[in-house]
Amino acid sequence: MKRRLLTTMTAFGLTAAMLAGCGSSSSGTAAKEDTAETEQTEEAAELTDEERIKAAAAEGKIGNWGLGNEYEILALLTKYGLPTDYLVQDFTMDGFDDDSITLASAMTYNELGLVVNDYDGGYGYGDSVDIIDMNDEGVAMLEDMLFCTKSFAEENPNTVKAFIAASIKGWEYACEHPDEAAQIVYEAGSSVSSDHQAYMASEVKKLVETDMNGNSVSEIGKMDETAMQQTLDLAKQYIQLDDSAAADKLQSLTLDDIRDTAFYEAAMSGDIGTPEKTDIKIQMKWLPQAQFMGYYVANAKGYYAEYGLNVEIISGGGDIGETTAVQNGTVDFGVTWVSNLIAADAAGMDLVEVAQIYQRSGLVLVYKK
Amino acid sequence: MSTHKKINTEAVKSVLYPVLFGVLIFLLWEFGVLNTILHTDTNILPPPSRIASIVAENSSKIADNLSATMTVILIGLAAGSVLGYLAAMFATRFPYFGSGALTVLSVFNAIPIVALAPVFNNWTKDVSSQADVRSTVAKILVVTVVCSASMSINAYRGLTELKPFSLDLMKSYAADNKTIFMKLRFRNSVPYIFTSLKVSVPTSVITALVSEYFAEYRAGIGRQIRDNISIAQYSSGWAYIVVACLIGIAMYIILMIFEGIFVKRTS
Repeated sequence: MKRRLLTTMTAFGLTAAMLAGCGSSSSGTAAKEDTAETEQTEEAAELTDEERIKAAAAEGKIGNWGLGNEYEILALLTKYGLPTDYLVQDFTMDGFDDDSITLASAMTYNELGLVVNDYDGGYGYGDSVDIIDMNDEGVAMLEDMLFCTKSFAEENPNTVKAFIAASIKGWEYACEHPDEAAQIVYEAGSSVSSDHQAYMASEVKKLVETDMNGNSVSEIGKMDETAMQQTLDLAKQYIQLDDSAAADKLQSLTLDDIRDTAFYEAAMSGDIGTPEKTDIKIQMKWLPQAQFMGYYVANAKGYYAEYGLNVEIISGGGDIGETTAVQNGTVDFGVTWVSNLIAADAAGMDLVEVAQIYQRSGLVLVYKK
Repeated sequence: MSTHKKINTEAVKSVLYPVLFGVLIFLLWEFGVLNTILHTDTNILPPPSRIASIVAENSSKIADNLSATMTVILIGLAAGSVLGYLAAMFATRFPYFGSGALTVLSVFNAIPIVALAPVFNNWTKDVSSQADVRSTVAKILVVTVVCSASMSINAYRGLTELKPFSLDLMKSYAADNKTIFMKLRFRNSVPYIFTSLKVSVPTSVITALVSEYFAEYRAGIGRQIRDNISIAQYSSGWAYIVVACLIGIAMYIILMIFEGIFVKRTS
């Protein structure tokens, strides 16, 4: 009996040692790089963005998460005549930290904050990193937006208008008071620290209030034709579908197939009737975080209630994607990237965008200077 | 004679009923009845004919991904089984340390693949500067660990649970350890090897597919399933799911054939 206990304990001990070993090996390499980094700084300082991209591509060290987040990177690589291979990043920045990825994908409001800042969960690189912005490179695609199915919009036009109006009001408030918005999201069941929420809110504000050319946007949520068209054109070029029926459908899509501006315009002009459906569910693209602060603010501040809606916010990142959940009718609205809606519609789904929250791409490639 | 005939009809029935049931499900699926029952549209559950046409259209891409996945499964399964058997031999030779070591190995069997895969990705970062090479190594290692655990435990039983007095008999002939192993223990362990493989063959397929989800380099059937599902391409996702099923079924059939050959001979 005593021996069995001993064996079991040894087993547990070894497992624990194995897991701990994994952690220490990665932090060990991080320490080594600090010295290597200072040596490289001088020669690397003269590289242009183009040279940097080409060098990283030659080494095969450009990273992205894939899974529908990769199209801007593919467009960027193609722009410089490079093969469209990339390493798969996990949902940490460890690969960037240990130099197995030298040009890592990062969202300005999320991963970039973790790389730069030194709060809990951050890597604390500060000024020693710089970015290549997809908007500056001309390969930006529009991201977070609000959508539902075409049939839902037809059957419940007033609900759609009311939901847009209340959500935009939430976004306006959130952009005026990002710190308060961050706190609201944090209290709504946050997946990240309150410091990171505050950082995220301040960065998301920039994406909502600035367009791809860096001009400020006065109307939050409007669908800019040029940016939408650029997104659709890039999507047609870089979304590769194995199903030939879906691939053909993708090429035939026009802006009118993927977005409807009528609901937004009516909502903004105040032309909203009584909502047909009042109990509404909306699924986010990811876990609760300031990326979606407008919706959380609209709910917390009672804006949805003002428009006669009872809204439940469902967080994403689970087994069922937001496009599928909306298509199935599990939820009424969803938040996703425009390219994801395009791919889903190509596969035969019936989704339509009704408001464009982010006016510029939040995707950057981050590198150590 | 009459009993013999009766057994035959039973055997026919036991094959026929499942086949008929399978055909029925297939027909219901093809003609959309299954979609109505499950309340899903044909995006999420496309008919078999559509899935088959996608498999046919993408045969070369599927072949590339298939070879990546099969490399991981076969090398991982072989390495894991050999390692597991060696561990069992070690445990038989040195029972005092050995049984403890096997307990440790069996613990690996309990670690979920989703936990092992990222760990091995981190560990293998220095293996090669080529992402595809180190990524393949990481996936093989996960399969190896999972397979070695089941082999070691089964093989240990095969090597030690001998027929009563057979070991005493061998000792009375003054047989050395090598002879005991070759003449007695190894032969006794063969059915146990197949028992282990019946578990580890399907497990190796699943492990390879799941570890592809986490791999640094995009390759393999499992990765294609995930990529397609995540951008709502369920039809293409199903095409790769079908391929994944075929791998598992084909490998299991091959295993059964080998078992028929080897286990009959030794018993």
